[in-house]
Amino acid sequence: MTIKILVAVFIGIFTGFFMFPTDLLNHIDLLINFGLCLLLLFVGIDIGRQKDVFSKIKTMGLKILWVPIMIGIGSILGAMVGGLFLNIPYNEAGAIGAGFGWYSLSAIELSKHSSQLGTLAFVTNISREVIALACIPIVAKYIGKFEAIAPAGATAMDTTLPIISRSTDASVAIVSFITGVMLSSLVPILVPLMMAVNF
Amino acid sequence: MNILLYLLILVVGAFIGYKNLLKSSLLNKVGIMQNCALLFLLFIMGVKIGIDKEIVYSFGTIGVQGVVLAFFTIVFSILGVKSVSWMILKTEVKTENDH
Repeated sequence: MTIKILVAVFIGIFTGFFMFPTDLLNHIDLLINFGLCLLLLFVGIDIGRQKDVFSKIKTMGLKILWVPIMIGIGSILGAMVGGLFLNIPYNEAGAIGAGFGWYSLSAIELSKHSSQLGTLAFVTNISREVIALACIPIVAKYIGKFEAIAPAGATAMDTTLPIISRSTDASVAIVSFITGVMLSSLVPILVPLMMAVNF
Repeated sequence: MNILLYLLILVVGAFIGYKNLLKSSLLNKVGIMQNCALLFLLFIMGVKIGIDKEIVYSFGTIGVQGVVLAFFTIVFSILGVKSVSWMILKTEVKTENDH
């Protein structure tokens, strides 16, 4: 699956770069939204077919909130450690990590500080999404199903949810959606907050 | 706004799945349809990245930095979830035993 995912994305990038008719540009977002809605409908059908999924979620209770909390902390800390190797100040690296894969918002927010930082946030978070798409099936198989939500970050509620759902099960898909919603809500708060912090 | 739309679609899908509103012959094809729709979506997402020449060119200059930061955010996120997943799985196993 990972190879198919990467091939689809890279053929897309190649097509977009060299041959995509620019007059269709306005329809791309519409196409993405349509594809996403269709896939989420399938995810919903999968969830509904597994009748015990809601009792499972109920039993897990508030413990599932540890998943977004740990992804949030891990993303920010991870970016700071990565920044250490690249000589990027802690707060700037942390702010990029706090984008949680939501590349458009984090880039806009950080462009206010410098266009270079905005571009780096964009490239980092778009890379996160592409790496997530490719590694979720592998993480689900070899590390664990809840861990498979981790690479996705904020995209766990939309673009990467269909892959998480196919690689794990219905209860993880629900935890994934909740994780995505929580992390997405935190991006506009945490990115400026990290920039305001002085280490 | 999008969150509500996604939630609504998931709930409608769950209702269809729960009530078995789809014929089993169609349900068998859901997996294949899902894969096709997924690969199509990924292709279009790729097109969106590729069509913006500035993004592709910026990958040439700061691509390595971006990939390094992305790699660390992913690894640390996985480690973070790994450190708590035993706790969540414990309750899940308990539920399975209850059934």
